[in-house]
Amino acid sequence: MRHFLVMTAFAVLAAVVFGTVAKDSNRERIVYGLKVFAEFMVIGLVLAWILYFIPY
Amino acid sequence: MSKSESERRNSEKAPARAWLMGTAGWLVPGLGHLLQGRWVRALLLGGAVWVCFISGLLMGGYLFKYSGSEQGLSSLLQIPPMVGNLGTGLPYIVCWLLGFGFSHEPQQAALPTFEYGWTFLLIAGLLNYLSMLDAFDIAAGRKS
Repeated sequence: MRHFLVMTAFAVLAAVVFGTVAKDSNRERIVYGLKVFAEFMVIGLVLAWILYFIPY
Repeated sequence: MSKSESERRNSEKAPARAWLMGTAGWLVPGLGHLLQGRWVRALLLGGAVWVCFISGLLMGGYLFKYSGSEQGLSSLLQIPPMVGNLGTGLPYIVCWLLGFGFSHEPQQAALPTFEYGWTFLLIAGLLNYLSMLDAFDIAAGRKS
């Protein structure tokens, strides 16, 4: 659970910065920030599953 | 803004104010935007960097520095993460002056959050580089 929370915190912080510096309108920034957050979370979970099955 | 106008603006020499804002943004996360009256951006960008940096320290992470004491290439390997850490500006410099956050004792390395800690510290620096460039671009008139 701790690992998941830390990953979520990381995704939130990175998404806030990425969303703020990118795009032109506030709406686009929010959408982009949410997209970055979702990408971090999904890719993190997928990688965790892949690594789970690797025995080394 | 048309593409040619955007290209022209980008090729123009940045004013001294832009360099000042960029430096301020690097030195104190969020300050570059704050000085330009961009409160929300300062709060979001500076806040994210500060939270990331403090969380990293609280998680038992450590900062990198080039000491030159290791043999051969090992000491050179310290340089890229040190450049990343240096992105946080004053917080890194203060830690360096106080000698705080650079040690990694065995009991610290045994913490379950140890690896996350130094990753957060590294990411704080990299995110602040982005924030610094944003402050620079705003001051240079390349961004609204």
